Amino acid sequence: MSADQLPYQVADLSLAAFGRKEIQLAEHEMPGLMAVRAEYAPSQPLRGAKITGSLHMTVQTAVLIETLVAIGAEVRWASCNIFSTQDHAAAAVAVGPDGTPDDPKGIPVFAWKGETLEEYWRCTELALSWPDGDGPNMLLDDGGDATLFVHKGAEYEQAGGVPSPAPGDPEEWVIILDRLRNSLADHPGKWTRVAGCVKGVSEETTTGVHRLYEMARAGTLLFPAINVNDSVTKSKFDNKYGCRHSLIDGINRGTDVLIGGKVAVVCGYGDVGKGCSESLRGQGARVVVTEIDPICALQAAMDGYQVATLEDMVSTADIFVTATGNRDVITADHMSRMKHQAIVGNIGHFDNEIDMAGLAAWPGIHRVNVKPQVDEWAFPAEEGRAGHAIIVLSEGRLLNLGNATGHPSFVMSNSFTNQVIAQVELFTRTGEYPVGVYTLPKHLDEKVARLHLDALGVRLTQLSKEQADYIGVSVDGPYKPETYRY
Amino acid sequence: MPLLAGLMERFASQRPFSGLTIAACLHITAETAMLVRLLRAGGAAVRLAASNPLSTQDDIAAALAERYGIAVFARAGVDRRGYYRHIEQALGQGADLIIDDGGDLVNTLHTTASAVLPGVRGGCESTTTGVIRLRRMAAEGALAFPVIAANDTPAKRLVEGMCGTGQSVIDGILRATNTLLAGKTVVVAGFGASGRGVAERARGSGAQVIVTEIDPVRALDASLQGFRVLPMAQAAPLGEVFITATGSCDVIAAEHLAAMRDGAILANAGHFDVEIDVRALAGLAAEVHRDVRPHVDAYDLGDGRTVLLLAEGRVVNLVAAEGHPPEVMDLAFGLEALALAWLAGAVSPANTGGKLTVGVHEVPADLDAEAARLVLATMGVSVDTLTAAQQAYRESWRIGS
Repeated sequence: MSADQLPYQVADLSLAAFGRKEIQLAEHEMPGLMAVRAEYAPSQPLRGAKITGSLHMTVQTAVLIETLVAIGAEVRWASCNIFSTQDHAAAAVAVGPDGTPDDPKGIPVFAWKGETLEEYWRCTELALSWPDGDGPNMLLDDGGDATLFVHKGAEYEQAGGVPSPAPGDPEEWVIILDRLRNSLADHPGKWTRVAGCVKGVSEETTTGVHRLYEMARAGTLLFPAINVNDSVTKSKFDNKYGCRHSLIDGINRGTDVLIGGKVAVVCGYGDVGKGCSESLRGQGARVVVTEIDPICALQAAMDGYQVATLEDMVSTADIFVTATGNRDVITADHMSRMKHQAIVGNIGHFDNEIDMAGLAAWPGIHRVNVKPQVDEWAFPAEEGRAGHAIIVLSEGRLLNLGNATGHPSFVMSNSFTNQVIAQVELFTRTGEYPVGVYTLPKHLDEKVARLHLDALGVRLTQLSKEQADYIGVSVDGPYKPETYRY
Repeated sequence: MPLLAGLMERFASQRPFSGLTIAACLHITAETAMLVRLLRAGGAAVRLAASNPLSTQDDIAAALAERYGIAVFARAGVDRRGYYRHIEQALGQGADLIIDDGGDLVNTLHTTASAVLPGVRGGCESTTTGVIRLRRMAAEGALAFPVIAANDTPAKRLVEGMCGTGQSVIDGILRATNTLLAGKTVVVAGFGASGRGVAERARGSGAQVIVTEIDPVRALDASLQGFRVLPMAQAAPLGEVFITATGSCDVIAAEHLAAMRDGAILANAGHFDVEIDVRALAGLAAEVHRDVRPHVDAYDLGDGRTVLLLAEGRVVNLVAAEGHPPEVMDLAFGLEALALAWLAGAVSPANTGGKLTVGVHEVPADLDAEAARLVLATMGVSVDTLTAAQQAYRESWRIGS
């Protein structure tokens, strides 16, 4: 039996017991997810759902996966990042709560920490391929790679073949095209069929949502999508509070430098950048923000941060973090002018915010791996300047997942409860969602928040009927108009 | 002021100042009135002068004189001569104990009023500025009696410097200018307790804060707290609001003023009006518009730039706002009252056979702890006490892990 035919591919099944222990700890910290698991268990709303998930294979994701299974779904899973898998979590999911490493009874998961790009896309394809040759009827995506694979597969099937990569195409795109070319040859028409079966996708993150809206605008979106990212209980909580927690965790684990007293540049002051800035400031760093959006730049200034351009700061700052969702924010040229031992990391979804290819191609550069996910890149001496080295975390991929363990369970419980509710909505009320991109209605967003209050000992005040009438809402919510920004 | 209220009962029964005259030089505010009444309840005859010509609240002065039998010599806005005459009047025919705030009373005692100096047994000084002067006097052998430096105890540093000055200096600047701090660059000179309190609160209001320091330890502290630390020469062209909190003079000098941005706001949180070189500012100005708002003078530099000086460079939280909030003064004055009562028992007339030598002394640590304990009790905060085993562990070098 070849590796591709195994029901799962993980690093080491013997890690399952450790993974299970951590899953149990996480369950306690994920009250929202456990509450919807209990609420939906009797009615099994996802019975018949075949969900392919492409989302960081962590301990918290394991609780999500097992929640989907507990309410009726069949699930196959891949990670959405080559470094973000926690191998013990993947092992525990493959073994399942009732199995053993010798007799795994869990769900098919294809993920391990440190995949190559070829392996990553093979895992994505495996997660999209049911053993009977069929595909999923639901997608749960983070960054849009599963959605992209299905869409491109269907598109090239219609076009009659996969195009050749153009010169200068990114390495990853060449790999995707190769994989699709093989797939089209082996299983003609498969992706058109899968795209027809998929009732919808729930998308986790800004980057993936951005792709979905582009496809919807271009008229190429093939099935409805729920934008989970823009639920308030997702974007504010996960992006802001999650990154506030895990950014410094990643920097500490990666480098163990004292953050107090350092000058830290945060590129981007969206929700993620706000959380990052706050956490670095909280550790005593002097934070300087870069922005292209005048509103966010003004917000940063009013929050007391110096706002400068990267050009202003590049040769004096100690720590650089990209959180823009855009490409080429820190270029190789920037890195060539940084201080010796400057730390460079990205917390945006994709690895194109820092120009790693440009860095690798810098004449005379020398890379030394310090430890996993920590590399020193030594620039050669130049006229007027001795050689210097910078430290790049997680090869420019999101460092909070690569160097640390991503968002903490409680934060993920918020976004994953949104995910479960979105899956139930799309699967059980398919007719109400014509092809397009939707956000969850506000009462469901409020429900997610409500499910997390008890665990924190929050005592909520109840509107009286008179008060509710006065502001024109129902006593049970929703309490705010759609336009409210929180 | 629950601490002073609690001490009022204790002093009324113990009467630690029975038969003693206390001369005091303090900002005449509602909080000071409480302290003075407490001393009176403890049996003292109190004679009070102001420690700043601008900070006197006339209604308080009047009430103290009329209702509580205090001899008060203070009026808001008196000139320099009147100010010192008031201090001499407070010393009058002599005092057994003194309380000072800035050192002007002690200075007067050792110079123009030296006739009554021999009768003074000891005193308390409230401010850092005053203590610095006293230590210089003691070093030169000029100081004639023991003084307790009540400016600086661990509890007071926290509550008064960090919290009280921090909050009220921002309050003073806001009342005087109504400027939005968010997004502004605020330069705080000095990162002692007061400077740190101001810097943290300015940051809390959304300002970008730059700290200037001469002390490398404090500068390191500020850096590690995430503040940008620059020399004043580099900060001068960047700042939009400047706050001095150093206890030193000429912190903002002519060359800094010359480099400032149009609209820069200058405020001093230190005790004396010497931290900003106001004379140099007047020298640079083509025209001065007094009181463009209350406590704001606009110095037109003649080149299109105007610099705003608050409170004439005097202590901005007292002049443009209401000084420390009562909670802060409660601890400071409670501590001072405890120290003074302790001093009354520890010194004897004319310094013969007293327990304290002539010089500047710290507040005994148990008095600081007592004051903190009393304040905590009024806040309803309970704390742990060491068990006998813990006490033994702390005192032994034989017990390890």
